[in-house]
Amino acid sequence: MQFWNYLIIRLIQAIFVTLLVVTIVFFVSRLVGNPEETMLPPLVTSTEDKERFRELLGLNDPLHVQYGNFLLDLGKGDFGTSWRGGGTSTLDSIGDRALNTVKLGVAGVVFALALAVPLGIIAALRRGTTVDWLARFVAVIGQATPSFWLGLMMIFFFSVQLGWFPTGGAEEGFRSLILPAIALGLFELVAIMRLTRSGMIEVMDTDFVRTARAKGLSERTVIWRHGVRHALLPVVTMLGLSLGRLIGGTVIIEMVFAWPGVGRLIIDSILKNDFPMVQASIIVLAASIALVNLFVDVSYRFIDPRIRAGAA
Amino acid sequence: MAAGTADAVEFQPGMRRRRIRWRRYIGLSVPALIALVVLIAGVFAELLQTHDPEFIDLAARLAPPVFDGGTWAHPLGTDELGRDIYSRLLHGARVSLIVVGIVVPGAALFGTLIGLVSGWVGGMTGQILMRVVDLQLALPAILFAVLMASLVGPSLTNVIVILLFWTWPSYSRLVRADVLSLRERDFVTASRAVGAAPTWIMRKHLLPNVLNTIVIVMTLEVALVVLAEAALSFLSVGVPPGTSSWGRMITEGRDTMNVAWWPIWLPGLTLLIISLTGNLMGDWLRDALDPRLRNLR
Repeated sequence: MQFWNYLIIRLIQAIFVTLLVVTIVFFVSRLVGNPEETMLPPLVTSTEDKERFRELLGLNDPLHVQYGNFLLDLGKGDFGTSWRGGGTSTLDSIGDRALNTVKLGVAGVVFALALAVPLGIIAALRRGTTVDWLARFVAVIGQATPSFWLGLMMIFFFSVQLGWFPTGGAEEGFRSLILPAIALGLFELVAIMRLTRSGMIEVMDTDFVRTARAKGLSERTVIWRHGVRHALLPVVTMLGLSLGRLIGGTVIIEMVFAWPGVGRLIIDSILKNDFPMVQASIIVLAASIALVNLFVDVSYRFIDPRIRAGAA
Repeated sequence: MAAGTADAVEFQPGMRRRRIRWRRYIGLSVPALIALVVLIAGVFAELLQTHDPEFIDLAARLAPPVFDGGTWAHPLGTDELGRDIYSRLLHGARVSLIVVGIVVPGAALFGTLIGLVSGWVGGMTGQILMRVVDLQLALPAILFAVLMASLVGPSLTNVIVILLFWTWPSYSRLVRADVLSLRERDFVTASRAVGAAPTWIMRKHLLPNVLNTIVIVMTLEVALVVLAEAALSFLSVGVPPGTSSWGRMITEGRDTMNVAWWPIWLPGLTLLIISLTGNLMGDWLRDALDPRLRNLR
């Protein structure tokens, strides 16, 4: 029963956050933007035409009426029509691209986890050795490297010079995915590795690990059952929290690698002045982030029994 | 016995203290020196430049740097439009300095204020403030940058506003956490008991105790802000064309990446070194002031 209460509260919060984003997007765009200037050819358009255009888009209505209509349309699943490409629904275009963005994001996280967790564990268990030193070196450099520059450099060396991977696009399936995933995942890799390392160091000093050793468990059991499981808890939290950063990163990486995802759709739409498309993409992205954050919070209760028992 | 006397000499208290104090600052000296160089480069860009950073000289396009067969006319070579890379890097430093100089203190000030208030007042107001803070996690800055750029076109002001908006919540979250535990401490209770006003308690008791945290976060944020500005400019939603920003230089260098390494490597390496510098200084400060913040990022 307590669980359902919690779920409902979190659901309301997620809806609230999404609504807030939608509202910000609406007001920022209405207050800052000037569609008749950006949309119509500047010198040849008469004042009457501009006026007709404003009337057509409903821009002469009072702001609260516009806002109401905007929300009603969203509620009906109508996210607007693209100003380019013969009036296609924005939602359809986003749907086509979303799968690619998800693929890239998942690949980035998988890459980061697959390397960071073992590296972090080994670095913690062999503190002060070459492995530890190497891990920290990678962490310091990795955190300081601009991902887009790294991406370009990898294209240059591995695609242009060596010809191992395609230079961009998503046509070659898995081979196309490798370089973008590395460029996207590097920053997360560093963060996860640091957390794993410090978590492991902390947990290996605790009483329950000493007890586990004292009662004669093998070192492998101590490390995996008592150490790693404990050290990975904060990693789960951080992965959830870093989702926003990850999606921001996807936008950049998609541009570098010409990856046909939502991020590239947004940037392309800006360059083409396709405002409804930009607006719809941002709302969809924000809503998905809110949803995944909700999912992370809820699943965390299953992973960590202390939270379930606590008052949270 | 001889070894014993040698030890005795080495462990004289005064000597030891001096040596350790000196060594503590080695870790800081290199990053501090680099930071100083960047500061001078950005402030005195006009005096140090060899060419106008936006001067296009197609006759001198893609001239290599002097250590790769070039001439001293363009010490770090030129880009595809014949613009002098050394001079552009100097002016790029200025853009980064302006952005960092406004965003980091501005965000720290505002974020700290919100953190103090929401931690001290608590209750409904505190909860609402923290939900606003959490918005940062739900909305990547880049999306906002993109939205603004699509509405009013790219500009330096945009970059600053967006990065301010995006970075202040980090301070609030940490300051609030600190305040929540500080408010239960005896010296705060005592101050309340004698009737001190909340603003007095915040200024005299809470702020001095969270100052370390704020300074550390500010230092660590420098690298983040520099990289973010470069990323926005790289996506052409940052500084407008015709401005020398390191991010823009990388975008422009990518077309000639296959024939000339310097237009893309030099700004990239500069960025790498600068953010490395910021992180190292932050790490050093954190270790010196407050080791418990180890897991900050």
